[in-house]
Amino acid sequence: MTPLSLANTVITFDEGLPGFESARRFVVVASPALEPFALVQAADEGEPSFLAIEPRLVDPSYASPLADSDLLRLGAEQKTPLLWLVLITMHPDGSATVNLKAPIVINPGTMRGLQLVAPDSPYLIDHPLPPV
Amino acid sequence: MLVFTRKRDEAIIIGDGIEVRVLRVGRDGVRLGVTAPPNVAIHRREVYDQIRVANATAAGDRESLNQIAARLRDARLAGARGRS
Repeated sequence: MTPLSLANTVITFDEGLPGFESARRFVVVASPALEPFALVQAADEGEPSFLAIEPRLVDPSYASPLADSDLLRLGAEQKTPLLWLVLITMHPDGSATVNLKAPIVINPGTMRGLQLVAPDSPYLIDHPLPPV
Repeated sequence: MLVFTRKRDEAIIIGDGIEVRVLRVGRDGVRLGVTAPPNVAIHRREVYDQIRVANATAAGDRESLNQIAARLRDARLAGARGRS
């Protein structure tokens, strides 16, 4: 499952994102010109967009477990192929970090997404973005 | 804010099917049990707040994010050339 396979479809986030609870509709913008990055772009005026990357490109062994309630909200089962993206933050010194702790998870089958809020995640909210 | 006094094993009900029960009262903390429909997300406030701050820092407008992506791509390509 890659961002390209979802390009230009509206994904519904029933609860928005933490801090942007009113932002419910996003489009994943991916293109060879952006690769390996993707934009998670609000579909509605005045709502924010984010730069994202697949977490496995940052940490090849990345795996965050989903609770039954997460799967239910995505309309997914354990084996449903899902798209995972983590949000990139740029810092004033020019460095970039990724939020591995709270990934965006999208079920392409239902076009529903959520941002995982996992209390026991071992991953950093500000993991350095590696150069490759 | 609605304020309740609850003893151990007492609960409150919120809306349709959400129950918050006091399981144990200790000196430094209260252990709560939350029962809610499976599609209701329940978060620890401090974790949610941490992610809220991270999202606010990561958010941007389309144009500036495209510029950042281009810059990061250039840096990666330069890094790849440097290593080869």
